[in-house]
Amino acid sequence: MHKLGWNLLGLLVLVVMVFPVYWMVATAFKPGQQILSYTPQWFPTSPTLSNFRDAVDQPFFWHAVKNSLIIVGAVVALSVVLAFLASLALARFHFYGRKAFIVLILGVQMVPLAALIIPLYILMSRLGQVDKLTGVIAMYLTFVLPFTVWTMRGFLLGIPKELEEAAMVDGATRFGAFVRVLLPLVGPGLVATSIFAFIQAWNEFIIAYVFLHTPEKQTLMVWLASFTTLRGTEWGPLMAGATLCALPVVVFFLLVQRRIAFGLTAGAVRG
Amino acid sequence: MKARLLVVAVLAAMLAVAATTASGGTSKAQAGKIVVWLQNDAQNGWPEAVALANRNFKAQHPDVDVDVQYQSWGNHLQKFDAGLAGGDAPDVIELGNTEMTKYMAAGAFKALTQSAFPNNKTWLQGLKGSCQYNGKLYGVPYYAGARAVIYRKDQYSKAGIKSTPKSLAQFIANGKKLMKTYGKDSGYSAVYFPGKYWYAAMSFVYDYGGKIAVRSGGKWKGALNSPQALAALNQVKLIAKTLTRASKTTDEANPQQALVFAKGKVGSFIGNGWEWPYALDEKVGNPALAPVVGAYPMPSHTKGKFMPTFLGGSDLAVPVTTKNQALAVDWIKAFTSRAAESEIAKAGNIANTTTLLAFNASNPKLAPFARAAKFSWFVPTSPNWANVENANVLQDMLVKIFTGRASVKAAANSASSQITRILNTGA
Amino acid sequence: MASVAESEFPLASRRRHRFTRQRTGRALAPYALLAPAATAIGVILGYPLYLLVKMSFEKYGLFELIKHKGRWVGTANYANILHDGQFWHVLLRTILFTVVNVTLTMVLGTAIALLLLQVSRWLRVALTTGLVLVWSVPVIVAVDIWRWMVDYEFGVANWALTELHIGNFVRHDWFANPWTGFGVITALIVWGAIPFVTITVYAGLAQVPQELLEAAAIDGAGPWAAFREVTLPLLMPIFVILTSLSIIWDFQVFQQIWVMLDFRPTSDYYTMAIYAFHQSFQISEYGLGAAIAVVMVLFMFAATLVYLRQMLRTGEVR
Repeated sequence: MHKLGWNLLGLLVLVVMVFPVYWMVATAFKPGQQILSYTPQWFPTSPTLSNFRDAVDQPFFWHAVKNSLIIVGAVVALSVVLAFLASLALARFHFYGRKAFIVLILGVQMVPLAALIIPLYILMSRLGQVDKLTGVIAMYLTFVLPFTVWTMRGFLLGIPKELEEAAMVDGATRFGAFVRVLLPLVGPGLVATSIFAFIQAWNEFIIAYVFLHTPEKQTLMVWLASFTTLRGTEWGPLMAGATLCALPVVVFFLLVQRRIAFGLTAGAVRG
Repeated sequence: MKARLLVVAVLAAMLAVAATTASGGTSKAQAGKIVVWLQNDAQNGWPEAVALANRNFKAQHPDVDVDVQYQSWGNHLQKFDAGLAGGDAPDVIELGNTEMTKYMAAGAFKALTQSAFPNNKTWLQGLKGSCQYNGKLYGVPYYAGARAVIYRKDQYSKAGIKSTPKSLAQFIANGKKLMKTYGKDSGYSAVYFPGKYWYAAMSFVYDYGGKIAVRSGGKWKGALNSPQALAALNQVKLIAKTLTRASKTTDEANPQQALVFAKGKVGSFIGNGWEWPYALDEKVGNPALAPVVGAYPMPSHTKGKFMPTFLGGSDLAVPVTTKNQALAVDWIKAFTSRAAESEIAKAGNIANTTTLLAFNASNPKLAPFARAAKFSWFVPTSPNWANVENANVLQDMLVKIFTGRASVKAAANSASSQITRILNTGA
Repeated sequence: MASVAESEFPLASRRRHRFTRQRTGRALAPYALLAPAATAIGVILGYPLYLLVKMSFEKYGLFELIKHKGRWVGTANYANILHDGQFWHVLLRTILFTVVNVTLTMVLGTAIALLLLQVSRWLRVALTTGLVLVWSVPVIVAVDIWRWMVDYEFGVANWALTELHIGNFVRHDWFANPWTGFGVITALIVWGAIPFVTITVYAGLAQVPQELLEAAAIDGAGPWAAFREVTLPLLMPIFVILTSLSIIWDFQVFQQIWVMLDFRPTSDYYTMAIYAFHQSFQISEYGLGAAIAVVMVLFMFAATLVYLRQMLRTGEVR
C-alpha cells in the first residue's frame, strides 16, 4: 500500500484511540454547566482552570503526589533489576526447579486480587507493614514481578546465545557477558517492562486504599476516589485530577521511549 | 503561705500527670491518638461540624490527637473488614444505617450506654432502631436524609396546577397536566424517576400498607407480592410509563437527578434536602432557578396524609478492636452534640434528634423535608439485609418492571422469593 | 584412592578442584539470579496463599473474621459453588467474554504494531505517544470517562451518533440490553489493552534483524510471507506470553464492569470476578470467596495449559 494510504489509516487509528483521552482533557477545561449539556461541545469554548484549582485544592493532593512518586520509583527500579536477573536464570540456564518456577509465576498471576486482600492484610498486619509505603511497595513488587520476569525472559529468548558465547570466548565471565552483551540488546524489553511496572504501580487503587490509612500516606488514585460521594460524581474536578495524574506517566514514557526505537538491532547478528 | 502550698500542690499534680502520660511506650501511643472513619460526604459537606467536634474533644483531652480519615462509599466496608481481620480497625466508624445490623449481629461493635450521649431521649426513632440489636445499643445516630418532592413552581402554574397535591391521585393527575403542556419535548419528565430508585419506589409499597418482608415464627418472608404491595408497584409502573423519560437502568445519582432537574426539562423529582441547593449550585447547577423551586412532602394515596419516606442515614459505632473505648465515646459525644448536629442540619440533612427538627422547620428550604421525616419506613432489621441490598434484588425487580421485561406480579414474586432466601440464610 | 591421585598428579587435582568449584558456581548461578525475585514473591504471597487455600475449606464469615478463627467445613464451600446454577452461567459468560476480548486485543494490537512500521516517522511518534497516553489513564478514570461518554442524558456518544444520522440515539440506554452493555465494556477493555500489546509487540519487532527480512525480500517473499516465515517465529515467545496474560487478565475483569454499572451490576452482568466479589466481600463470606478464587485459578491453569506447554518448550529449543 502506498505510504499515504498507511498514513491515513494510522491517522484514523490515532484519532479513535486518543479520543477518550482528549475528551477527559477537554472536559477538565470546561466549566461545570457546559459539561452537563444536552449538546456536548467538541471543543471547550470558554476554557477555565477552575476544575484544576478545585482538584488541587482537594485536601492532601501534594502528599498524594509525593507518595505515588516514591512508590512508583521504588517499584520500577526494583522490578527492573530483579526481573532482569531472574529472567537471565530462566532463559539461559537449565536447572532443577526451572519449570516449577515458571509455572509458579504464571499461577501467581491468576489469583484474583480481591480474594487475597484479607489474607494479605493479616500478613502485613503481623509484619507491622499496614499504613506504610514500604508495605505497599513490597506488594506491588510481587504483582509486577511475574509479568516482568516473563516478558524479559521472552525478550532474552529472542537473542541468540552465540552472542554472549562469543564474548565469553573473548575472555569475559558469564555474568560479564550478560551485562555487556545482553543488557544493551534487551533495552527495548527493559523499557517496555519498566513502563508496565510504572503504570501498574501508579494506577493501582484497592491495595493503596485498604492498606494506607492516614490521609498523608494516600496515593493519587485514592485521592481521586474522593471526588465521588453520595452526591454522585463531580465530573469537572475528577477529569482535571485525572489529567494531572496521567501527566507523570506520559513524561516517563517520553523520557524512555527512544530506547524502544526501531533499528536498534542493526548489530544483533554480528558475525 | 497557703498560696505557696497551693502552687506546690498544683505543680506536683502537674508533674504526676506528666509522668503518667509520659510513661510506657505503647500505652502512650494508643492514648495519644484516636482514628475516626467518616464518609467523604462530611469532608466537603459539613466540615464545620467535624472541626467543632475536634475542638471540643481536644479541649477535653489535650494530649490526644484525632485523625479523621475520610472513606468512600464504594469500598469502605472492604477496608473495614480487612481492619477487623488484622485487628487494627478505627476507634470510631461511620456506617450507613442499612449496613449496621449485619455488623452488629457479628459482634463487630462495642456495646454502648445510651444515657451517655447528648439528646439520647429524643433520637429519631428511625435511626435509633438501626443502632440496636438484641436489646443492646451498638451505635449512635449521626444524621438522616428524608425525601420530598422538589418541583418547578413556574411549570406547575403554566400547566394549570393551582396547588400542591394532597393525594397520590392528584399528584399523578398533575403529572399528566405537565406532560400535556411540556411533554412534546422528548426529553421532558413531569416526574423524573430513574429505574433503580428503590428508596422512592418502596415508599409507595409502605404507603399502601405493604412491606418488603415480614417476620413470622422466627423466619422472614418476602412480602412484595402481597396485594397491597402489588397495588403500589402498579402505581409506580404507571408513573414510569407515563410521567418520566429518565433512564430505566440507572439510579438517582448517576446522573445526579438534581442536576438533570437544573437543566430545565424536569417538572419535579423526589429528592433529599441537600438536592434542592445542589440544583442551584453555581458550578454545576442553575442558580437562576432559585425563585421558582419549591418542595412539598410526597402525598399518600390516602388523601391528606404523607407517603412514608425512607429514612436513610448514618450511624457512628465503636469497633470491638479498639483500645480507646472511652476516648471514642467522648469523640462521638462531641460530634453528636447539639452544636455539631446543627451544623450538619444546616447542610440540608436531618439531625439525629427531633429537637432539631424544629430548627429545620423554621427554614423554608428544609421544612418540607422535616415534615416528611415524621413519617418514615425502614428496611427489615435482619443481619442479612445488607446482602439483599448487595444482591440488587429490589433494583433488579424495578428494572424488570420499568423495562417491561416482566409483569409486576412476576417480578414481585421473584424478588420476594429471593428476599426470603437471603434473609433466612444461616438462620 | 583420591589421595593417591592427588599426590601423583597435584596439578591435575588443583585444576579439578577449580573446575568443580567453577561448575558448582555455575550451577548455583541461576539460583542466585533467581533468589531476589523469588524471595520477594515468596515472602509476600506465600503465607496469604496458604491462608487463602485454608480459608476455602472453612466457614469464614464476618463473625469468624472478628474472632480471627474459621470453622472447618471440608469441601462444603466447593460443593456449594459447583451446585450453584448461577456459577455455571457466570463461568460460561466469562469464557465467552474472555475469548472475544483477548482475540480483539491481540489481533488489533498486533495489527497496529505492524502499522507502526509502515507509517511515516512523525506519525509513528504521534501514534506511540497517543498509545502511551491511553495506557497512562488509570483504569478507574478510563471507566469514568467511558461511562461519561455513554451517559444516558449528557453523553457525547448518544449525541454524536444522532448528529451523524446513524440513528436516533437520544437518551439511548446502553446498559438496558446486556449485549450492548457488554459491547461498551468490551470496547473499553480492548481500547485500554491495545497500547500494552502494541508497544510490547513493537519492541519485539524492533529486535527482528533487518538482514533476515531483507534476505527474505531478496528471495521474493511478499510482506505477509515475510511476516509468517521470519517475524512470527521470532515473536512467538512474546505472543504466547501476551495471549496467556490477556486471558488471565480478561478472565478476571472486575473494575470496568463494577464501576460502569455504578457499583451495582445486576446478575446478567456478572463475570467470575464480580461473582467472586459478591459471594465473598459483599456478603462477608470469605471462605466461600476463597473457594471461588481457587476454582478460578484451577480453571485459568487449564485454559492456559496449551500456552504453558508451548512456553516451557520454547525454553528447551534454545
